This record gives sequence, structure tokens and C-alpha cells, in this order.
Amino acid sequence: MSKAIEVNNISKAFGSNVILDQLNFQLNPGDKLSIVGPSGSGKTTLLRILAGLDHPSSGTIKLGEKDVTHLDARTRKVGLVFQQPLLFPHMTVEENIDYGARLTGTFSREKTSDLLTAINLTETRTQFPSELSGGQQQRVALARALATEPEILLLDEPFSSLDPGMRQELRYWVRDLLDERGITSIFVTHDREEAMLMGDTIGVFYNGGFQQLASAETILQSPANPFVVQFFDNHLLIDQDHYVPLNKISFSSQATGARVMKAVLLQTSVANGERVAHVYVEELDKRLSLRLPFPHDGGSLDIFIPANHIYSFDSSRGAGRYE
Amino acid sequence: MNLYKIKPWLLILPALLFLILPAYGLWAAFSESIKDGSDVTLTYYHQLFTSERFLSSLWFSLYTSLTATLASMIIGIFITRSFAHFLTDSLPRLSVWLPMLFPHLVFAYVIILIFSETGWLAQMLTMIGVLESPGEFPILTRDNYGIGIILAYIAKEVPFVILMLFPVYNAIPPAYYDVVKTLGGSRMEQFKTVEWPQISTVVMEIFFILFAFTLTAYEVPAILGTNFPEMVSVLSYDWFYSGSWEDRPLAFAAMVTISLLITLMAFIGYMYVNRKRMRALRGRL
Amino acid sequence: MKYKILFYIIAGLLFVSPVFVLLLQSITTPWRFQTAQEMNVQLKSFAVLWSDPNLWTATIGSIVIGAFVLLFNFLIGITAGKALALYSFKGRTLMEALLLAPLLIPVLAVAMGLHLLMIRIGLADTWIGVTLVHLVPTVPYSIKIFHHAYSQLGKPMIEQAQILGASERKQFLTVELPLLKNAIRSVTFLTIVISLSQYAITAIIGGGSVVTLPMVFFPFLDTANPSIMAAFSVWFAAPPLLMYILIEGLLSLLPYSQTPWRNRA
Repeated sequence: MSKAIEVNNISKAFGSNVILDQLNFQLNPGDKLSIVGPSGSGKTTLLRILAGLDHPSSGTIKLGEKDVTHLDARTRKVGLVFQQPLLFPHMTVEENIDYGARLTGTFSREKTSDLLTAINLTETRTQFPSELSGGQQQRVALARALATEPEILLLDEPFSSLDPGMRQELRYWVRDLLDERGITSIFVTHDREEAMLMGDTIGVFYNGGFQQLASAETILQSPANPFVVQFFDNHLLIDQDHYVPLNKISFSSQATGARVMKAVLLQTSVANGERVAHVYVEELDKRLSLRLPFPHDGGSLDIFIPANHIYSFDSSRGAGRYE
Repeated sequence: MNLYKIKPWLLILPALLFLILPAYGLWAAFSESIKDGSDVTLTYYHQLFTSERFLSSLWFSLYTSLTATLASMIIGIFITRSFAHFLTDSLPRLSVWLPMLFPHLVFAYVIILIFSETGWLAQMLTMIGVLESPGEFPILTRDNYGIGIILAYIAKEVPFVILMLFPVYNAIPPAYYDVVKTLGGSRMEQFKTVEWPQISTVVMEIFFILFAFTLTAYEVPAILGTNFPEMVSVLSYDWFYSGSWEDRPLAFAAMVTISLLITLMAFIGYMYVNRKRMRALRGRL
Repeated sequence: MKYKILFYIIAGLLFVSPVFVLLLQSITTPWRFQTAQEMNVQLKSFAVLWSDPNLWTATIGSIVIGAFVLLFNFLIGITAGKALALYSFKGRTLMEALLLAPLLIPVLAVAMGLHLLMIRIGLADTWIGVTLVHLVPTVPYSIKIFHHAYSQLGKPMIEQAQILGASERKQFLTVELPLLKNAIRSVTFLTIVISLSQYAITAIIGGGSVVTLPMVFFPFLDTANPSIMAAFSVWFAAPPLLMYILIEGLLSLLPYSQTPWRNRA
């Protein structure tokens, strides 16, 4: 079976500023990829290139069997949902959804009403976008993109302009919709949690390429490099080669030989039903948030790092450390 | 890739072709003003600057257009800043657009209708007993001080100022005002720190558009002006159309002089605005 | 509330009263305090005005020239406005300044300078020549208005249309034009009124054989009475209003036009 999308050695530079450096990846039909990375790392440029709005300096893109590298955005079978809904303000909800479908010749009345049902906005059919809430508008934008029956759906931080409650709700809802319909999708975000919710595979994007392209579990079990460790905050980076899972660090001495470090308690807070200590470890010049089993009123603390849980990046292929 | 780079230039091509008209026109006017047969000469400029008629016309024009422009702008800015929030409603907006429906020359006639010695105002004031007879009404049209001209321009340009400024005012985030208010700023302070930085570029632009227009437009002074002093546009038009062809180069020379004058002033204004903007940018670094 | 009243007083005095005076004078006899106390309503001044064949020639001349000036303004304004708002290219700010510059040089100077050229290429004394010279005081405004409109529309909206598969033509018709409607209205209005204001440059290039409304208005000033002059002044509003209605009609033909009979929830 052919891949849904194959990206080979894509590079993009603006002048001497390299945005994408020899990027490779491929997705099977129905796969969901999340691309996560710091703001300004070029994730949006990557999506724009996949959509055909920008063109790569070199490399090729294949959608299914077809090489689309030199095809314009107008003729690629790609859907893109932006940060802003960007609905056409002079068209009704229904006209917005039909717009692309009519242009690509895939319009049918049934599909429109099916999509309206799916986004749960049938009753707003004849309303104008300005009459809808931000979340509703974004749902219409999604339906509009799906109506063209794209081979791949690209989503560029589509929830970032929504308020937190709405954002959370829409994440689950969109994920369900994409699963239900078996849509191949690439989801770009700077939010780690969102990346894990929206994709089965996560591409940690930095410095023009993927630092790691793996499942959330793999990233947790064996992060590929110091950048991934620091970006995800699942581990404490001890030096450029060694890290320790945060949940193995404790405030009380343990039998096995452990490394002890001095820490200063900065603040305590509560999250997920647990007391959390925010400490500063001077030796590593790092701030950490750790589960605090007992109340503590500030000042110095010792943290214990068990020697058998200090891993190095090359020898970290062992599984089952997080049982 | 290449097409993408060419595209904006393709789009701007019609505008570039259009620019040939004013550019060629100005160039031709200039070359006519220094042409003596096949020789280059400055005779006409010499004649111009020794002509009492031209010099008094120049001063009169500058005074009239500067007064009209500044008055229109002050009134326009005042109205816009005081009423910006409900200029968005359709009725107030419509009332501002109303004078835009009529050309300048119609407004020149309206001024005659209202302010002439036999006009509405004179007769009305007589009727309510302020004046003994309409003949006592001061001469405000075709007068020696350009009052009629100034009035016509104010009536026509205030709406223009409002329509240009209003979108800029509406784009100022209300929170800015609150900041100044909570810091105890006065109204003047509000204008200086919140509004002026936002509107200064547009104000400068409006000023030069209006100044250049009122300085050189023919229609209004032709209706409302006198023979002496006369606006430079009327004088040039007369020279251009006077029976003897000898005066034509003078018309060109006068127009070129005025163009240079405006360009110079606009350049200084532009540099001034830019210098301030550069400073603001540096301050931010 | 107090503000509102204040505004309407200012607007009434400054914006409405001049037009009101014109309207009133056009339907009353010239008012002379010494002779008659009351105003006499009459419609004769319009009858006199309309009976002048020159007026009709001039009205048609103004409308035809105005329509072509408007057409060129749309063409130049929309393309240049789009380029300035949506593309970044070398020399864009310079271009912006250059395209505004014609407003700063005296249009009288330009017309005088173009006069000889027009004679040479046979456009002097023709309505084509007059149309061309009327572009000079109008096009910079149109470019400015469309530039602003395209900036508000924004590049992402246009990219959205591309992603959905719209061809360039389709995108222009279904997305750009409908969203430029307000700009189109403003440009229509401004362009026609400015074109209608030009006496001097029309006289220079048209040489008296191209007759527009101002060409008839000036000689009327010396001969006609105030009522007829007022009627003539009011008549100046006819071409812009006519053109506005025409454009409004054309706009309603655009796809996705919000017309009263379109159902809304």
C-alpha cells in the first residue's frame, strides 16, 4: 500500500537562515502526526510548504503516488486549518463549508448536512460567521477543510486563539472526529500536552529538523537527546550525556547509593491532587518541580538521585523503567 | 518561484504607467519654463521674481491656503477626537459624507449664496434687526483677504479631514486612554501621549494634501476671488490663456516654482516625521 | 447624550446647512428682504435648467467621462492596492510614496505640461484626453483606499481560498470583490465627485470642445439668478448618485451578495 504522504529531504532557507534542514518523514493513511516545538522554530513554514503556500528550496513531497512538489496550493488535495478560523465573512456557514467542495467538484448536499451534523452546528446553517463564537467558527473552518475531501489535513495551532476551557473540549472532539473518519493529519502546536492528545506519533521539531520522531511513550522512556529532555520536562538533565526520570528523584534518602544535591525551595503549589515543590538546584543551575510528600516551610532541602536510574542517551534502549 | 517575485510588479504595472502622466506633465512644464527657442534660459524665472503681481499673488496664496488648511485640520481633528465613538453610526457618518457629494465649485457658490452682501446671512441679520440694511454686511466674498475662499475650503475640507482621520482614531486601543487616565494625565496630556503619536503621520499627510490642493486649485478662487490680490493658480491660468503667447512660459515657471516649493516642504515634513520615528525605534532597543 | 446633541449641532451647521441652503434656494424665488417678506416656492428654476440643451450635453459628458475615469481607477487602484498590501517587494515604501505624490503636485501644472503632448498625439480637445488628465487627481486616492481595504482583508484570507482550490479568477470574484465592496463604494463616490470638480484642467485639455458640467456652470455664474444657480448646484449631485446606484446594482450581482431576500437565521 502506498504512503499517504512522503517527505524526502525537504530543505528551506530564507537567505542564510536555514528553517528546514533535510527533513524526512512519511505517514500511512489514517496516521496522526503531531509536530511540537518552541515558537519560531519553523513548524508553520513546514506546514505551509506541505500545503503548497511556500516552496521548498530542495527535496520532494509525495501525496499518495503523486509528486506534488511543484504543484500550487490550489491544485493539491490538502486541507489546512489556520490559527484563526478565517471564515469568509460574507458567506453563511453552509456556503463556507460548500465553498471548497464546489470548487473541487466534490460537493453533495448530503455531505454538507453530514458535516454540519458532525460539527453539531446544523441549526446555524444560514447564519453568518460573525454570529458564531470562536469555537463554533473554528469547527466550521474544520468542516470546510474536510468538505474538500483532502488526502491529508494540516492543522496549525487551530485552538490557540480559543479560551482554555473551549480549547480542551475541542481537542477531544476534533481528535475523535479525525479517528472516526480515519483522516490522515498533521497537527502543529507548541503545547506538549496538546501534541500528545492530537497525535499518535510526535515529532519534536527544533533546529530545522526532528530531534525525535516517536510515540509519547518512547519519548518518555528514552528521549533522544538533551533538547528533548529539556523540552518535555519528564527528566532532569544532569549533563549533556546523562539524565534521570523526575519521578525517581526524591527528598528522602534511599538505601542504594544515591547522588545528593542541595536544593532551595522556591515555592510550593498543588496540582493533580499532589503537593508540588518548586526547587532550584544550584549545582545544575536548574529549576525543578517535584512531588513533595511532606509539608515543608522553605529553605534548603536535599534531593536524592538514585545512581541506578541515571541513564545516558546511547545506552537508554532498555524498556520498563516506568512501570 | 520567479513568478512569485514578478507578480507584485505585474500588479503595480498599471499604476506605474499611470505615473507617466504626472511625471511627463511636470517635466514638460519645467522644460517649457526654461526654453528660449533651442536655448536654455532662466529669463522667465527672473521675470517672475521681479514681477510685483506674481510676488503678491504668491504671498496671498500661501497665506490663504495655509489658513484654510490649518483651520480645516484643527476643526477636523477636534470633531474627530470628540466624537470618534459615534461616528461609526450611520446617521452621523452620512452627515459627514454629505458635503463630499458636491464639488468644490458648488461650495464656492454656496458661500456666495450665504455670505455675499445680498446673501442669506445679510438678509437674515437685517430681518432680526442686527443690521439696519443688508448693505452694512461686511464684504466676505470676492474680498481682499481671501475670507470667502477660506470659508469655502473649510466647509469642504473639514469632512475630508474627518473621513481620513476617523479610521486611525478608531484603531487606538481604549486601554491606552485608561493608562494615561490612571496615571493622572490631563486631556492635553492624553492628546499628546496617546493620540498624537498614532495620528501624526496621517495628520502630516492630510496637511500636505490639503495645502498643495488649496494652494493650486483654480475653481474656488476663480469664483470667490478678486483681481488683486489673486491666487497663483488664477494668475497662471490667465497667463496660460492670455491672448499673447509670450505669457505662457510665465505660467509654466509659476507652476514649476509652486511645485518645487511644495515638494521641498513635503520633504522637510517627511524628514521630520521620520526622524521622530527613528528616535522612537532607537528608544525601544 | 449631551455629546450627541453637540455633535448634531456642529454637523448641522457645518455639513448639513450648506446643502440645505442650496436645496431651499433651488425651490424658492430669490429672496429679497426689501421687496418680499416671504419665500415663494417654485419649481421653475429646475424647469429652466433642464430646458437648456447645453446642460444635457454637459451632464452626459460628465457621466461618460466619469464612468471611464472610474473604470481606470478600479483597474489601477485594485491592482496597485493589492500589490502594496499583500506582497513585500523591494522598494515598496518608495512605491507607496510615489503613488501618493501626484496629490502634492499642482494638477494645473500637469495639465499645462501635458497640453502640448496631447496636441501632438491628437488627444487634445477629445474626451479621451480629458479622461486621462482626470486620472491624475483621482488615482492616488483610489490606490490608497484599495491598499487599506486589502490590508484589512489580509493575506491569510486569500491563502485560505487558495487552499480550498479557488482559481485566481474565482478567488477574485468570490472572495476579494465581495470583501472590497465598501472600498468600491468610497472610490466610486470620490472619483466621480473629483472628476466633476475639474474646470481648469478640463478646459485646458478639452479646449472647450469637451463639455462637462463645470464648463457650463462657470458661464452661468454671470447670467443666471440664485435660484437657477442653486438648482444647477443641486444637479451636481446627480452624476455621483446615479453612478453610485449603478455600481450598487452591479455589486449585487456578485456571488454571495448580502441582499435583503437572502434568508438569515
